[in-house]
Amino acid sequence: MTAKGLRKLLLVGNPNVGKSVIFGNLTGKYATVSNYPGTTVEVSTGNATIKGIQYVVTDTPGVNSLLPMSEDEQVTRDILLHEDFDTVIQVADVKNLRRSLLISLQLSEMGVPFVMALNMADEAEDLGITTDLAALSKSIGVDTVSTVATRKKGITKLKEVCQTPRHSTLSVAFGERVENAIKEMEPLLPDAKISKRSLALMLIGGDLSLRSWLHSLIPDASIDALEEIVNNLQAQYPEPLGYYINRKRLLAVDKIVKSCQSRVKDARRGFRQWLGAVTMHPLWGLPVLLVVLYLMYEFVGVFGAGILVDFMEKTVFNQWINPVVIRLFDYVPAQFLRELFVGQYGIVTMAVTYSIAIVLPITTTFFMAFGILEDSGYLPRLAIMVNRLFRLIGLNGKAVLPMVLGLGCCTMATLTTRILETKKERVIVTLLLALAIPCSAQLGVIMGMLAGISGEATIIWALVLLFVLFLIGYLSSKIIKGEPSDFILELPPVRAPKLKNILNKTLGRIEWYLKEAVPLFVLGTLILFTADKLMLLGLIEKIASPVIVGLLGLPEKATAAFLIGFLRRDYGAAGLYAMQKAGELTPVQVLVSVVTITLFVPCIAQFFVTVKERGLKSAVAMMAFVFPFAILIGSALNFSLRFLGVTLK
Amino acid sequence: MPHEKEQDAGFIVTGETRDEFLESLWMLEETGKGKKTDRLSVFALAVKEGYIENNAGAEVVVGDMAARGDILLDGDYVSLSERGRDAARNIIRRKRLAETLLSEVFALGPMEIKNSACQFEHILSPDVTDSVCSFLGHPPSCPHGKPIPRGSCCKKLAHHMRPLVMPMKDLEPGNRARITFISPRDHGRMDRLSTLGIVPGTDIVLHQKRPAFVIRAGETELALDLDIAAEIYVKIIS
Repeated sequence: MTAKGLRKLLLVGNPNVGKSVIFGNLTGKYATVSNYPGTTVEVSTGNATIKGIQYVVTDTPGVNSLLPMSEDEQVTRDILLHEDFDTVIQVADVKNLRRSLLISLQLSEMGVPFVMALNMADEAEDLGITTDLAALSKSIGVDTVSTVATRKKGITKLKEVCQTPRHSTLSVAFGERVENAIKEMEPLLPDAKISKRSLALMLIGGDLSLRSWLHSLIPDASIDALEEIVNNLQAQYPEPLGYYINRKRLLAVDKIVKSCQSRVKDARRGFRQWLGAVTMHPLWGLPVLLVVLYLMYEFVGVFGAGILVDFMEKTVFNQWINPVVIRLFDYVPAQFLRELFVGQYGIVTMAVTYSIAIVLPITTTFFMAFGILEDSGYLPRLAIMVNRLFRLIGLNGKAVLPMVLGLGCCTMATLTTRILETKKERVIVTLLLALAIPCSAQLGVIMGMLAGISGEATIIWALVLLFVLFLIGYLSSKIIKGEPSDFILELPPVRAPKLKNILNKTLGRIEWYLKEAVPLFVLGTLILFTADKLMLLGLIEKIASPVIVGLLGLPEKATAAFLIGFLRRDYGAAGLYAMQKAGELTPVQVLVSVVTITLFVPCIAQFFVTVKERGLKSAVAMMAFVFPFAILIGSALNFSLRFLGVTLK
Repeated sequence: MPHEKEQDAGFIVTGETRDEFLESLWMLEETGKGKKTDRLSVFALAVKEGYIENNAGAEVVVGDMAARGDILLDGDYVSLSERGRDAARNIIRRKRLAETLLSEVFALGPMEIKNSACQFEHILSPDVTDSVCSFLGHPPSCPHGKPIPRGSCCKKLAHHMRPLVMPMKDLEPGNRARITFISPRDHGRMDRLSTLGIVPGTDIVLHQKRPAFVIRAGETELALDLDIAAEIYVKIIS
């Protein structure tokens, strides 16, 4: 029981078994549901009333083992180890009963009472898999409920049984030598919320994450003694003990699966399996990727950034909202206030118009498209397609998730670099996000600018970006020490995304995005407004003139755009967009300024998240590199275009 | 070899020295064009390998081995007799099979392979040798590319030369296989695979090899890099 007297309920299970959907069913609040392993790095909690009793429900990150091998797994194990809870629901993918029971067995070893939700019963049925629930309940000693979480089937039953979890009777004998070692270790271990046997098994399995916790509770001599027992035990086995233990567990689990589950031989593998295979086929995967990119371009680029933005900007704001607001402010006597809200650098006419009219439609369409990619199971298959390419820059295919998400919002993407396993990979991806990945808002504005000049400009812009991406990726993979991590990636089946899930997810992300972005737009506008009022803008333009005019070959006025680019790159791009519309930029100047602003420093929010994730030193170092590097590339492009006499007209 | 011990009675050159000498002679015949080998080059090799101290010692060995009918002498030339050739073939077979086993299955380095294989060649019994050969799928050559002499087990299975156990990377898409063992570079990889249910005894289907390996075990579909697929050994099942 928590301090407030609320009961606590934990959801535990393998990745991609539908924990988050069951969480949504119980609490009514939707957590991010994703097919990509590890997206629920952050733990979500919500409130639920089950048969008149209030619960706080915690959705733990997916685990394949409670002996942690990743940050996610450690979070879940630590919750079980340190926190109070009243009941646990283990969510299982009934098609993958074998791997689920591996978790049940470990919960049983811990002495944690639980009930089991056998989810995805519909998919199992399609594959001709039948499960004898009564026999399964009997052999593991806890209640089991068959569920289809996406259709809320079995949830009522689950709510009924989840209040009376039982201790499982599952257990494995690991052989005399291991059992003796466990007996020797148990008296040395501290009292904990989970059994000493399970702690001993974690240590035998080579768990280092328990060290600091142990050090705080027992004397060093006991730790040395524990270590010696484990070392002596390991000396008697040719294979790593963690592996030996998992093998023993799997042997026990296989027996149960065999007795409780049967499948129709060679059940029909239907259209979804075929589609899944095509999307990662060495040959057909590529056209599929191109089709996916094309559809995304049509939806986000043409529909979102084109039609919707046009409608929002020209009709909704410039015809309806802004004239009304401006007329309202006509009644405001103070000239100063009028300019503050509806002037050239006005909060309504500049900040709000921009964030709602331009940013909102683009991010909404992008996050919808991204949600579809996630829920359909396409992203992991995309990871396979790009794996080899990413190897060149010290990453593996898994890095595709933060990179693609970065095209939506680099701040959000910087947070998801946590799914990468090594520090080296996280640093490289964070740097590339800060440098060469434009976010959807920026992309929308930039596409609008480039569309105004020739197609060549778009191609040059894309080539420069790709060149920078791979050059910097390659160099940093050489400079930053460390090994690339293994590419072992679980592929969820291809599924038809549910519209409701997509909309919920998109809404959540938009809310987050607007909270991050709109205050910055307002702040940026205020800075411009102040600078303008104090006549500072002219001064800054003079100071920056050697760089802006001399190196980049842009008019002095562009300084304001770059200044605001320090807050948000996309907002800076919007300033350039306005200049282009006013006919103040030649096509070459448009291209140079667009390339420079794309590579320009990340937005303030992204910078703060980078500090949080990578530390102040790394974040500052990245900024110190990105800013001059963007100017360098922009200048190089400026001089080569002029030298070659390219006009782009 | 223990079962030939009784034949050594009354001779100076016994056990390992005899094996080594026969091996040296076989190797010189293998590299040389003709069958006749200059006795001095055999001596040189024997001294280089370190099992005979000097040429004088080698003269004694040659005399003794000629007397027991392992080798034939012809002026300055020595060659293997019928009996000696059979013995040498078995020694070479044991050694090269051991090298293949150590290299492919245990992934040991060249020095460890050399040292261990030299031990194996003296102790493997014919039955164990044939088992190793079958286990490896009757390989035609050793890791250095030299031919492995065929044994009786290879002839029995002449129509069925597919290796019984092979790395997953050599499977063809569509093959069903059972994992027999995993020999990874690092332990973490082995632990991680085991939590995904990838352990010896698990049946898998290979879906594709490029751009990454995709396998299915039960209803779990996994993508792996080539270097991981090279460390998982499987046996094809139909």
